[in-house]
Amino acid sequence: MKHKRNTVIQLAILTVLGGAVILTMLLPQLPSQRGAAPLVEISVILRESDSSLWSSARLGMDQAAGELGAELRVLTLDRTNDGTDQLEVLRRELGQQTDVLVVVPADPEGLARALPDQGTACPVLTMESPLEGAVLAATPDNAALGRALAQAAVDDGAAGTVLLLNASPNSTGVTARAAAAQEVLEAAGAAARVRAVDLSAPSDALRDLLKQPDLTAVMVFEPALTEQAASLKQSLGLDVPLYGVGVTASAAAWLERGVISAAGAWSDFAAGYLAVEGAVNLARGTDCRVEQLPFFIVRGEELYEAEYQKLLFPVG
Amino acid sequence: MRALLKRLAGRIAQGYRSMSIQLVLSLSFTAVALAGVVFLGAGLLLRFSDSTQALTQESTQRVLAQVNMNLDSHLRRMMRVSDTAYYRVIKKTDLTLWSMTAAMDLLYEENRDALVSIAVFNEGGGLEAAVPLSASKPSAIPNESPWFRLALEKMENLHFSTPHIQDLFDDPDNRFRWVVSLSRHVQLTRDGNTESGVLLVDMSFSGVAQVCRDVELPNGGYVYLTDRTGEIIYHPRQQLIYSGLLEENNLTAAGYSDGSHRERFQGQDREVTVKTVGYTGWKLVGVVPAGRLWGEGGSLPLFGISLLLFSAFLMAFLNFRVSAYISDPILRLDQAVKELEAGRDAVEFEEGGCYELRRLSRSIASMVSTMRHLMDDIIQQEAQKRRSELEVLQSQINPHFLYNTLDSVIWMTESGRYQESIQMVTSLARLFRIALSRGKRIIPLADELEHARHYLNIQQIRYKNKFESSVTAGPDTDGLYTLKLTIQPLLENAIYHGITGSEEDGLISVDARREGDDLIIDVSDNGVGMRPEVAATLLSEERPALRTTGSGIGVRNVHQRIRLTFGEPYGLTIFSEPDEGTTIRLRLPALDLEQAEQYQQEGAP
Repeated sequence: MKHKRNTVIQLAILTVLGGAVILTMLLPQLPSQRGAAPLVEISVILRESDSSLWSSARLGMDQAAGELGAELRVLTLDRTNDGTDQLEVLRRELGQQTDVLVVVPADPEGLARALPDQGTACPVLTMESPLEGAVLAATPDNAALGRALAQAAVDDGAAGTVLLLNASPNSTGVTARAAAAQEVLEAAGAAARVRAVDLSAPSDALRDLLKQPDLTAVMVFEPALTEQAASLKQSLGLDVPLYGVGVTASAAAWLERGVISAAGAWSDFAAGYLAVEGAVNLARGTDCRVEQLPFFIVRGEELYEAEYQKLLFPVG
Repeated sequence: MRALLKRLAGRIAQGYRSMSIQLVLSLSFTAVALAGVVFLGAGLLLRFSDSTQALTQESTQRVLAQVNMNLDSHLRRMMRVSDTAYYRVIKKTDLTLWSMTAAMDLLYEENRDALVSIAVFNEGGGLEAAVPLSASKPSAIPNESPWFRLALEKMENLHFSTPHIQDLFDDPDNRFRWVVSLSRHVQLTRDGNTESGVLLVDMSFSGVAQVCRDVELPNGGYVYLTDRTGEIIYHPRQQLIYSGLLEENNLTAAGYSDGSHRERFQGQDREVTVKTVGYTGWKLVGVVPAGRLWGEGGSLPLFGISLLLFSAFLMAFLNFRVSAYISDPILRLDQAVKELEAGRDAVEFEEGGCYELRRLSRSIASMVSTMRHLMDDIIQQEAQKRRSELEVLQSQINPHFLYNTLDSVIWMTESGRYQESIQMVTSLARLFRIALSRGKRIIPLADELEHARHYLNIQQIRYKNKFESSVTAGPDTDGLYTLKLTIQPLLENAIYHGITGSEEDGLISVDARREGDDLIIDVSDNGVGMRPEVAATLLSEERPALRTTGSGIGVRNVHQRIRLTFGEPYGLTIFSEPDEGTTIRLRLPALDLEQAEQYQQEGAP
């Protein structure tokens, strides 16, 4: 009886070990071991009507998506900074069972109010502006960026009236930059004149604002407005120093030509990469680190310095 | 250390001595087999690892050689463009008389897929010609650029730069393109005089990237390209490195010679293969993560460990059974020997197992059988010897009995008691005839009783009828046989110890009857008797041998003779009470003629 029991136990151990051998033999064949993690669907919803401003970031996003197994849908709005339109796009994406949303909020507060009503557990990651209930990633410190840009203007002698233009007053990120810049300017004795502009409207209003004679400097705080203001400045032949945010290809050209005196910039490629990486981590339930991107203030003569080249012009 | 080894050896020896042969066999087999498996497995694993590593290196080197060839081809094409521009255009152009632009434009158009611009600068950095872009950027200062300085410093060489943004000419599309600059010193002709200048061929970075891109190495490896100082020219994740999101061990790799190297970077072991790109001194670096040689997620070691465990347990399992099969006949033999030692008679020696064991079993069985036969013979011989001694003693006539009887005959004859003397002589003659019985040990019961009767007659005459006697036999005792001279010693004992000491008239009776398969003969007297505890010791082996004053043979001898002849169940039983008398009961097998003859033959000397 005891002998039989021992034999049964030995056979059981043998079977278990044999099973372990087979399992370890098949282990590399298992989908979980072959790195074939399910594809993460990511919807990137911008707040602009034109995605060309995000071309560098898009390169980073694509690289991250390729490496981490994600599928990207980059969506623009019919009208730049239209919060209602953005909410509609967001609802549509939620309806298509996207795994995670990356949003550049046009109206963070409105979006925060509307999101809970969607009744979805879809994780949301934002860029540029923080959003309640969402993870803010791949964004520079907005206030610090505004202060640094204002300091550059002050250093250049902007002492009188400085025009601060904000095309996205509902965007808390952009507004934070402007507010911080205003503080620095006023602390330096300059008179900060804050004005809102509508990027989707004809540029007449912006032209009138730029043509004000008493301006010692103009500051804008987002790439789209930087491009538009630089373009108008050049076409109008204005001499007033322009300070902007974001170095797109056009902005770089104007920076080089001196149309833009200085610009606050960061690696858009890194921003796009980190945003998608964070989104994938959110979708897979792994650790999603909130990182602030380092920024810098660049002037035309510094544009071709090796480090700036590498950050501003992604290798294509 | 030596003491430790000695102690270890001692423990092993002690364990060995206390272990069963099956355990020793199974443990030894398993240990040896396991050592073999581990040795073989380790050898194969090392061989596999070496082969895999060699294959990886070979494969990487082959891929790098191919990439190097493609890259070399691409760079040589650019050098040919530069040569063509110099020898076919610049050298043949006097700048005072002609422009180089048309010829260079043609050259550019032929290679526009790989070129961004071709430009010629004079020694001061002034632009002499440029295609397709010709508008210099206001901020451009060519003669301060590294490519310009290098070209003038090392005039005999062509110089390749690391990738950078083209920063000399305005691009109407505001494009900032990554280029690799190829510069060289040239001699410009102006108004018949030669002067130094620099020819710059900006080739598109994408051309270099195209050569290196999509190169796949084993185990998820990749290829990157650096210049001789380690500055990255191409990397599949170049922009991540530029953005500070990734680090590469490029500066260390720049110091490696061509060939394969093992390095550890950011906690990961990597197989790095380096190949220098001919003219430029650039280094192609192939990186293969070494950890993947062991399989994804360490599956290979896991497989090895589980296989080793399975093999070890399977071997132990099988060895245990094989050793049980081998040692089972030995254990059975051992058990049989133990049983033999314990005194068991019917011990079977199974002949199983291998040849040597079967022969050993046969030998032991044969030895035991021989020993048993010898022992039986000895026992039989001893019994026979004892029986013979007893019978010799039994058959001897006490000389005093004979003298006394003959004296009695003489005395009776002299006194004229002829009838009594004749009766005594007749009984004596009859007594001797039956005692001899032609040497037979087993005689008819009737003869034995007659022998007793004649003995009693003689003794009655001698003792002047001091006692009465009777000899009776049941009708069922007819034809039965008994051991010779078994009653007479008892009668002698009754006369000398029972009757002679008694004051009363004695009575001695002999009564034979059959009880089942036994023959019972009671010899009783009404003499002085004895205490039962004394009677119980008369037949004891420990009691000193009794010698009677009669025929000289004691009661115990009769008891021993019966037992030696017929076995333990038979013999004498004494019933006695002081002043009451004694009865000695003989229990014998009820032998018929056939059985008697059989016993007769067995007991024959």
